Amino acid sequence: MANRTIPRLLQTPAVVLLLFWMLIPLGMTLFFSFIRYVLNNLRNPHWTSPSIENWRGFGNYQFVWGQDSFWLAMKNSLVIVTSILFLTVILGVLIAVLINRSFKGRGIVRVLLISPFFVMPAVNGVLWINMILDPVLGLQGIAVGAINDLQNAPLVGWFFSLWPTLEPISFRATQTSSIAVIMMVVWQWTPFAILIFMTSLQSEDQQQKEAAVLDGASTWSQFRFLTLPHLGRPIAIVVMIQAIFHLSLYAEIEIVSRGNGNKNLPYYIGELVNNNIGAASAAGIFAVILANIVAIFLLRMVGKTLME
Amino acid sequence: MAIVATQSKLGKIVWPVLAWTVALLFFFPIFWMILTSFKTDADAVKPEFLFRFTPTLENYTNMTDNYDYWRFATNSIITSVSATLFTLFVAVPCAYAMAFNPSRGTKDILMWMLSTKMLPAAAVLYPMIFLTKSLGIYDTKFLIVMVLSLINLPIAIWMLFTYFKDIPKDIIEAGQMDGLTTWGEVKEILVPLAWGGIASTALLIFIFCWNEAYWTVRLTTTEAATLSKLIEGNRAPEGLFFGRLSAVSTAAVGPIIVLGWFSQKQLVQGLTFGAVK
Repeated sequence: MANRTIPRLLQTPAVVLLLFWMLIPLGMTLFFSFIRYVLNNLRNPHWTSPSIENWRGFGNYQFVWGQDSFWLAMKNSLVIVTSILFLTVILGVLIAVLINRSFKGRGIVRVLLISPFFVMPAVNGVLWINMILDPVLGLQGIAVGAINDLQNAPLVGWFFSLWPTLEPISFRATQTSSIAVIMMVVWQWTPFAILIFMTSLQSEDQQQKEAAVLDGASTWSQFRFLTLPHLGRPIAIVVMIQAIFHLSLYAEIEIVSRGNGNKNLPYYIGELVNNNIGAASAAGIFAVILANIVAIFLLRMVGKTLME
Repeated sequence: MAIVATQSKLGKIVWPVLAWTVALLFFFPIFWMILTSFKTDADAVKPEFLFRFTPTLENYTNMTDNYDYWRFATNSIITSVSATLFTLFVAVPCAYAMAFNPSRGTKDILMWMLSTKMLPAAAVLYPMIFLTKSLGIYDTKFLIVMVLSLINLPIAIWMLFTYFKDIPKDIIEAGQMDGLTTWGEVKEILVPLAWGGIASTALLIFIFCWNEAYWTVRLTTTEAATLSKLIEGNRAPEGLFFGRLSAVSTAAVGPIIVLGWFSQKQLVQGLTFGAVK
């Protein structure tokens, strides 16, 4: 008997804590999503506190569903997450294959490559949008200025004046800020993909590879038929872990998109929370549904390999 | 070690050069931040001082006056260390029980725990603000420690579980034969054997806590504000303060990057839950 009780007892605190953490706030969100609950409302002061009397049914859901900014946020969330996944996996595989050989300073190369992963998201955002991407004072502005100045340079100036003058891009604008966010996150998470793919490549069957070389297989077909299948499982894991982190991407969006129309789902909800709690909660439930669809899909894909 | 079987002479030069170029490109933004932190605010935005400038330490010596850096840094240290310890305190027994006395439900519990990580934080933002304000714990270090622990608990349990799973069960059973209590088993057998795994879990959780930027920003104002909050609050200096902002950013991420260098090998096993070794 004691054999079963003690292990259960040891698991209880973790399970209970996570259960509370999940159920209580989520239950409240669910409740708020069905009532009228607006923090600043002078005409209807009874809406400013949560009460079952203010039942609104699916009204909040209809309101959110009908808002253009909700769909824009939804679209942005998906575009940002998919682009990041796509770019980090491709870059990760290429760079991992590139450094998976012995050369001078390989240890230092590894250390340099992994560093961006440990930069805190807030610093990542502030650093890129100001010091690097600022159209006037950042490196981008300085670089564009320098290239344009080449038109006045002696000897080669005629060549550069054949080209149109470059305009620096403002990455704080609505149209471009997603690109800035994608750039930042790809910079931060490609190192993670590299690290995992590289570890996996080290367990690749070398004899098989040597046999392929003897059979006259080209570098490309070695990569295509041996390396890539070997990386299947690590790629699935990288996709899953990144999806977990990027669906709730916040700091970078907050830093880049403050004051423009480019929002993702967490940021859109964050704005509603300032006033319309009912709508924010309905949007939150939509976010949960989206995350669940992604989660079921990913856990099916990866879950089995994890438990082996 | 992986060595491509045949390497042409050209390949011996081209590939390393390419690898170094990629590595330097990736590191460049960090290098740029560190470099800018040694320039005065005025020099930092002038193209003529791009690489040649008179280095100054004033951004670092004025960090307390400019940003009250140490108040935020102290909060970051206190909350991250406490949250890491509390997470381990809850996660170690749980992972121990799951690894050595698995029941039929263990797999499902582990999967469910991982799925709580997928719950979007934004969905429960208002309830968290509402609850913590009514309980009077909004903007307290206690709250931040609890939230950081809860969001990292699933990852900690998974990591520890994969480390513990590799320990032969016979050793634990031998301990039971010798009449060790459960606590004795943990103390005498598990902790010494899995010390490396526990340490790297702690390191990774600490890094995650330090870098967390959703709850630490939304659930604090002044009292419990961490470095993430400080940096986020200075998101748009409009070029006026590039030097001092770079200095405070460098101070905020420097120690963690160095810690990260030491943990990179364990990071792979930990973050992929042992699926990639």
